[in-house]
Amino acid sequence: MSRIDEITRYVVAEFAPDIRADELDADYDLLDNGVVDSLGLLRLIGWLGERYDLPVDDIDLAPEQFRSVRAVDAFVESALVKGPAL
Amino acid sequence: MGDHLSGLVDSRAKGTALTFNGADVSYRELRALVGDAARVLQRLPGGRPVGLRVRKSPESVALVLACWAERRPFLLPPYDLGVDASAALYRQAGCGHVLHADLTTVDTGEPADEVPDLDGVGPLLTTSGSTGLPKVVPLPDTGVDRFTDWAAGAFGITGGSVVFSYAPLNFDLCLLDIWTTLRHGGHVLLADQERALDARYLLRAFTHARVEVVQAVPLFYRRLLEVADSPFPGVREVVHTGDAIPPELLARLPEFFPNARLRNVYGCTETNDSLIHDSDPTSGDPVPIGSPIDGVQARVDGGELLVRTPFQAGRYLDTAITDRWVDIDGETWLRTGDLVRRDADGVFHLDGRADHQVKVRGVRTNLRQVEQALQAHGEVADVVVLAVPDDEAGYRLHAVIRAVDGTRPNSLTLRSHCARLLPRTAVPSSVELTADEFPRTSTGKVDRKKLLAERV
Repeated sequence: MSRIDEITRYVVAEFAPDIRADELDADYDLLDNGVVDSLGLLRLIGWLGERYDLPVDDIDLAPEQFRSVRAVDAFVESALVKGPAL
Repeated sequence: MGDHLSGLVDSRAKGTALTFNGADVSYRELRALVGDAARVLQRLPGGRPVGLRVRKSPESVALVLACWAERRPFLLPPYDLGVDASAALYRQAGCGHVLHADLTTVDTGEPADEVPDLDGVGPLLTTSGSTGLPKVVPLPDTGVDRFTDWAAGAFGITGGSVVFSYAPLNFDLCLLDIWTTLRHGGHVLLADQERALDARYLLRAFTHARVEVVQAVPLFYRRLLEVADSPFPGVREVVHTGDAIPPELLARLPEFFPNARLRNVYGCTETNDSLIHDSDPTSGDPVPIGSPIDGVQARVDGGELLVRTPFQAGRYLDTAITDRWVDIDGETWLRTGDLVRRDADGVFHLDGRADHQVKVRGVRTNLRQVEQALQAHGEVADVVVLAVPDDEAGYRLHAVIRAVDGTRPNSLTLRSHCARLLPRTAVPSSVELTADEFPRTSTGKVDRKKLLAERV
């Protein structure tokens, strides 16, 4: 399973369990549509930190980075490239 | 313009006025920003209010100050209010233009012939209503003046005072932490409302300067204490407001704020701060909402708290909404909707709500308004929105939907629909489709308690 599929599955299970993963478009705006609220964002970031071993406590996080599944995937990609924070 | 401005920002003030995301803005720089915004306002046709679509930042603070200086009433809805609802509010207030923090302006296209009377009004704030739209609360400048005078005295805000501002810019709380402070030459640390739950960000913002006064909802203190590893001895006033502070959280505040007076402030957008109480962190009981502050009158009618304050709006912009403002012996009072009891010392305690309002992340939210928004969706036959208690949010909203026959709306389409009509805090966190009839009480009303009990 690709990382983007994995993120989609998590978002659907956590925030919209009544839909199928293939019904959530990777570019769907999760924030403007009220699917992920500010507390939900913290849960999502916590999950990303554990699942992909990212030092999320040390990264400067902006909500924009989590606007859609594709944006989340890009965030993970760039965090992995940078490697663990010193 | 300069003359007016001196009443809004202390004209002699020097040094730092604002800090935002690590960057300081001096009073000199703030005055320049206000001047830029004022010149944009001067180019717009007069006699009409403007709409502001802004989040908290030095530029948006300057824009608000410029509106005041130019005596231009300004509608300040929540930044995350749905676009359809925002447009309806701009129409209701007669706004000809909407301004953004970067001073770009958008013509609303609304005709100029239906501008309500806003003589003496500065801010037009919003609060949750039971109809589909938020209610617009026009605040008189005289009330704002009286409030900032009171707040400066009550919390000792003077030149050089460092005050932390947590609430979004559209909240009445900013009258205390931002507008009172700037009028008296203090230094405001602005928390970015987009990062309001990011504990490490909050700690950085809070420790940028030696904060003396802080006002925030309980959620802020919970977040801050999660990451703080040493106390804040410089803080002398801690105000918790907007929602009942859990006793276990209150009990931990003295360790982190050893030199602070801890107080609960109770108020609402319509009347501003009304009651105040010295919180006892050792009691373990729910904190009372308090006693009337100077000049405020309070009474109880059928268990419901009524207040009359020197700061109040006295009306909604839509004068057809009359259920809350009542005339008693020629005076205008607000029915708060809060059910209270008064103890032997005259202190008020909160027992609950007379209507369907709850606080979601500190924001007053009317369940009826959310239900009306959902009901307006073509595939929704019937809906009940439940407020499910939540440790962090206070409450989270859960919608139970009966769909129109042959349709199957999903939680994404329904929440997108709500997001156009409601503030983000009012969009349900979860949506459930059911084929069952809703349970009814003996009087035929939907049995919300039963629905809730089945789901908690």
